[in-house]
Amino acid sequence: MPAPTANYLAILKTLHQHDVKFIIVGGVCAVLHGAPMATFDLEVVHSREPDNLTRLSAALEELGAVDRVPGHHEMKPGPSHLASEGHQLLMTRFGPLDLLGTIGKGRDYNQLLQETVEMQIGPELKVRVSTLGSLIKTKEETGEEKDRAALPLLRRVLEEKSKS
Amino acid sequence: MAQHKLPNGDREEESSHGSEPTHSEDGVDLTLIRWMLSITPAERLQVLQQSVESLLSLRDASANR
Repeated sequence: MPAPTANYLAILKTLHQHDVKFIIVGGVCAVLHGAPMATFDLEVVHSREPDNLTRLSAALEELGAVDRVPGHHEMKPGPSHLASEGHQLLMTRFGPLDLLGTIGKGRDYNQLLQETVEMQIGPELKVRVSTLGSLIKTKEETGEEKDRAALPLLRRVLEEKSKS
Repeated sequence: MAQHKLPNGDREEESSHGSEPTHSEDGVDLTLIRWMLSITPAERLQVLQQSVESLLSLRDASANR
């Protein structure tokens, strides 16, 4: 598999242009809230309503998205994959993209929606992002070591934000 | 960023926020957080983009030695 240069903005713009409903979570969400950290994939929770899945499929086609799991190269995510609660780990021509049906304790797009904020990214792009509090809650819920490791940084960002 | 000489000759950095600590008790660099909070979300995304590209360049340079 070729290694495309990660371009988060290009992926977000493509999803936005196709009017896909999604929430940015994970490392990119943390960075947008001000966490000084690096991450290599863009993680989003998408709405699994049929109309949204149609728009998402069109966006993925434009992005040239294929499964990035070893042995599954060149496999495009099908409708049943996108409609599932599972995680689709994709490689696009703008870098890795993780589509998450649910996160934490099985929370999906609709459940997460009330814990999001809209952020303006440049003049033409507005995205929906999980709140920092919600991101921390999700990482506490999963309890995985890598998620626990990020908690001190995220909690300090939340503290510093509350001062400003 | 101000520097202060300590009795043992070492220098301790103090943040531009005056007496505010540079690190939290659990070791998190608060100066980087304050810097990230001082810029816009679009600029934060740009910082991330450049960091990743820089890290990949370093990795590639290391692999080609």
